[in-house]
Amino acid sequence: MATSLTWTGSKSSGPSFAASGALTESASLRWILIGTALVFLSVFLFLPLAVVFSSALERGIGAYLAGIRDPDALSAIRLTLLAAGIAVPLNMVFGVAAAWALGKFDFIGKSILISLIDLPFSVSPVVSGFIYVLMFGLQGLLGPWLIDHGIRIIFAVPGIILATIFVTFPFVARELLPTVQAQGNDEEEAAVSLGASGWQTFWHVTLPNARWALIYGVILCNARAMGEFGAVSVVSGHIRGLTNTMPLHIEVVYDDYQFVAAFAVASLLALLGLVTLAVKSLIEWQARRAAQIAQAGGGEP
Amino acid sequence: MSISVRGVSKKFGSFSALDRIDLEIPAGELVALLGPSGSGKTTLLRIIAGLEFADSGAVEFEGQDISSRSARDRRVGFVFQHFALFRYMTVFENIAFGLRVRPRRIRPSREEIRAKVHELLRLIQLENQAQRYPSQLSGGQRQRVALARALAVEPSVLLLDEPFGALDAKVRLELRRWLRDLHDKVQITSVFVTHDQDEALEVADRVAVMNEGRIEQFGTPADVYHSPATSFVYNFLGNVNLFRGRVENGATFIHSSPTGSIIFVRPHFLDVSRQPNGSSHFRAVTKHIHTAGPLVKIEAVTEWGAPVHIEMSQERFGALGLVPDETVFVTPKESAVFRADSHPAAADKS
Repeated sequence: MATSLTWTGSKSSGPSFAASGALTESASLRWILIGTALVFLSVFLFLPLAVVFSSALERGIGAYLAGIRDPDALSAIRLTLLAAGIAVPLNMVFGVAAAWALGKFDFIGKSILISLIDLPFSVSPVVSGFIYVLMFGLQGLLGPWLIDHGIRIIFAVPGIILATIFVTFPFVARELLPTVQAQGNDEEEAAVSLGASGWQTFWHVTLPNARWALIYGVILCNARAMGEFGAVSVVSGHIRGLTNTMPLHIEVVYDDYQFVAAFAVASLLALLGLVTLAVKSLIEWQARRAAQIAQAGGGEP
Repeated sequence: MSISVRGVSKKFGSFSALDRIDLEIPAGELVALLGPSGSGKTTLLRIIAGLEFADSGAVEFEGQDISSRSARDRRVGFVFQHFALFRYMTVFENIAFGLRVRPRRIRPSREEIRAKVHELLRLIQLENQAQRYPSQLSGGQRQRVALARALAVEPSVLLLDEPFGALDAKVRLELRRWLRDLHDKVQITSVFVTHDQDEALEVADRVAVMNEGRIEQFGTPADVYHSPATSFVYNFLGNVNLFRGRVENGATFIHSSPTGSIIFVRPHFLDVSRQPNGSSHFRAVTKHIHTAGPLVKIEAVTEWGAPVHIEMSQERFGALGLVPDETVFVTPKESAVFRADSHPAAADKS
């Protein structure tokens, strides 16, 4: 709220100035509202962030680096990168395919498919984790068969990757779908009538038109993949150096009262969050600028 | 390349968009599909292009059935109402697209493509805009780029969906004359869809007037305008007044009561005088007189209270010296009425 008020104020063009003039509250009320928002943000966002970094660096840079260089920490970082490295590309391919199918075609069961894609958003991650345990665990449906064939999924790396894929499943599709729908079929039809194959049309027309939404979706998907705790926690088994991801490692180390080490790894995740935020803002700014250019020069003959 | 449409029908759900359409378009002609929205004209165009498929019937190019061929294989140039330019490609890349996506063995060389694109840019008079993006062009320029892009692949047929629909009035006028010139130059069989009768009559060699999924009449602009086949065609091409009356021995009698057959008369086929002349006149009171423009337009009310539109030349108006709220005698000029009694169903709708 605070940001939107200052934004309209600074861009005092004719009509919006008049509108904001009519809708402006008294100065005291404005300060109260802005103040409330700032206090709220400080307590719930800035302060915790500051605590993460200050706690991580409490005993100097040496202790901080030691916390990160710990073999268990490094293995957790590697596992997180592996899980995200597999989950994000897979969900990118899936998300593009799903958004394309849902955005460009009409078929029976379309709304059901959309609901299914949203499922990981609505189901608690812990429940998602349990679903995998029930499927692949020792007492699970496929567990005994898997054990007989020497395949371990639960309490092993495959389970963590599966859980991560499931939880981050909707991000790309959800970001892409509105963009793909809004663009309609005209350009694709033009490409096909010019002799382009389906693949050429997709590669040269559909994908470039959706690129900002795609990048945005991938960034969000990646942030979630690296930060996921609940579902991964259930299937991981918390085996140090083997099945701990970064969030799990932080919890384990923190429970051992190794605060600096815990906060050191936590600071890496927080940093990832900040970078995600910065890239996201940059992309939104870029996309808005592209839209403005597209609108300018529309009218005159 | 000639186009034949044979018994094409298309339904969307329970709505019949096209009902057993037959149409023969001779090679090299520029044909307009004219009709109100919902008449099926765009659907017919898209079926010819292969962007839509007919439920039954066939489309033939040069006598060869191409109904089952995809849009990609029909070698059709299609120009969309809202241009559909590739927004992330420059003007040059847009025009070159159709050549660049060809399979390698029939793809022209880089130099050939460049030469071809520049030739087309000269044709559409946008030679120095090659590196611009569609968003940086005006509506008229975008539409010309869309045309050049369609022509680049040397299509056998050019199809245009409301090509001037998204442009403002002045650009429309310029561009449709330009399209006519262009067609005379490249001589490619072309079909365009429009709901604007002036556009169809001015640009096309032949006009197919469509209504409710059928072709009401197919003929030259002079044919459809002067000898309309149905009351719909008469009504749709230009303004008309609707009366009840009868025609006897070549003279038209307008009835003040709702009896007799339906009679259409164009505003400029109504003669106005101060004195009664002959027996086929009726009385009307002038209400509004618009003198701006080449013709004077008069809105009047008949003696039985119906509105009537009259148009006359400035000279005639000057000679008469009409003023508002004046009673005048109105006579339909003899040969200029259209009796709708041969098509009662169509007349009821109009």
